[in-house]
Amino acid sequence: MSHSLTSQNPPSRRAESLIRVLALIALLGAALVACQREPKPVPVRVAAASDLTHAFEALGKQFEQQTKQPVSFTFGSTGLMARQLQQGAPFDMFAAADVAFADQVVKAGACDGSTQALYGRGRIVIWGRKGRAPEPPKQLKDLAEARYKRIAIANPEHAPYGRAARAALKQAGVWQAVEPRLVLGENVRQTLQLAETGNADVAIVALALTVADQENPWALVDGDLHPHIDQALVVCTRGANTAGGRRFAEFVNSPEGRGVMRRYGFVLPGEQLTQNP
Amino acid sequence: MSWSPLLLSFEISFIATVLAGVLGVGVAALLVRYRFPGRELVDALITAPMVLPPTVLGYYVLVTLGRDSTLGRAYESLTGSSIVFSYTGLVVAGLLAALPFVVKSSRAALCEVDPRIVAAARTLGAGPVRVFFTVQLPLAASGVVAGLALGFARSLGDFGVTLMVAGNIPGDTQTGALAIYDALQSNRDSDAGSMALVMAAFAACALYGVNKLTGPKAHGW
Repeated sequence: MSHSLTSQNPPSRRAESLIRVLALIALLGAALVACQREPKPVPVRVAAASDLTHAFEALGKQFEQQTKQPVSFTFGSTGLMARQLQQGAPFDMFAAADVAFADQVVKAGACDGSTQALYGRGRIVIWGRKGRAPEPPKQLKDLAEARYKRIAIANPEHAPYGRAARAALKQAGVWQAVEPRLVLGENVRQTLQLAETGNADVAIVALALTVADQENPWALVDGDLHPHIDQALVVCTRGANTAGGRRFAEFVNSPEGRGVMRRYGFVLPGEQLTQNP
Repeated sequence: MSWSPLLLSFEISFIATVLAGVLGVGVAALLVRYRFPGRELVDALITAPMVLPPTVLGYYVLVTLGRDSTLGRAYESLTGSSIVFSYTGLVVAGLLAALPFVVKSSRAALCEVDPRIVAAARTLGAGPVRVFFTVQLPLAASGVVAGLALGFARSLGDFGVTLMVAGNIPGDTQTGALAIYDALQSNRDSDAGSMALVMAAFAACALYGVNKLTGPKAHGW
């Protein structure tokens, strides 16, 4: 519509055009809503810590193939999802990046404590984007160097991987030097994104997010520098498909599921980290 | 509960609103005064941040002002610090939030000023700039102030863009909204509650104050 609505059209015609446009928008809206109304099988809703993004997507595909049961994942900050569960969020299973958060939701009555199980132990890495100067250091203590202007870690207040990063930096003796240059990601995946976009020079993130990365330089951080990142899952009762949640939880800890988790660099309960990563 | 994120938020919003006021009223005046091709497009572009999802806006801010961008790199080589993850970044986020409100509201208010009064002032010898500041702007005042108030409230509450570009650095770029979010995730309910209350009370008082200043008195009802 290139003509001026005010000069050429008297008010009544303007009103008509306006009503026509609004009617069109309403019709489109209704059509979109109608398209959503097709009946779909109830998916298993899994809330998972963001470090599990790649691992669980792989697991999810295998699970769906085997059981024909669709799974939908919500990846995000463990702390946030734990709070949401406490407030009644309808997830069927929660895979936390730390045992403490699993305990928290069980205590709140949102999840079934008897299903709580460790599914892996996480590790942290220093990651840098390919081709970016400066190159990420191989050791944490090198981060004290001033040329690393911005170092991203997940928020230690509520993100388990952020806490581990902080503990490791402290243990390596460089926390004082590094702290003023830190940028905090809301969860470990956003932390990685900060470095991926070049806004942070290096990021300390979960091994699970980078283990398959052949392109960019990263280095494993010595596991002795921080307390164990014991990751626990638990089946939750406020979703629509608790049985499905249980099945998925069992799948994660099945030999097949463990194989996938191992591939993504998780140290499985009862095992040592394989030298691969 | 710590006050510094709240104080930071008020400070940033105040500065952003002042900037939005100067820039916004100027842009509105130009949009009213001059007819040029693409005028409505300019208006739409300026208003866009108001309707874009914050994450979309945050994405574009990162791309255009991030450390990897042309502008970002230029800024960093000049000043030594980046736009993102800094006070500047916060002000930019606040400005983007407030500007659309100021422009939209001011433009509407300035349009309503009776052109005959403007013409009368001109015939009495006042130049266009003097007419603008002494005749048009005062007549459009309540609309402009309403826009500023909305802009202030909106920038105070900004979360999405701030989350993406601020880096949430405690003491430096952790605003009230981010602090409340963190407190919630860390199970510090009382902190979250107190901070939320203070921010809400402040915003309510500010809006009330503005309404009192520009309300019935301005229209003589």
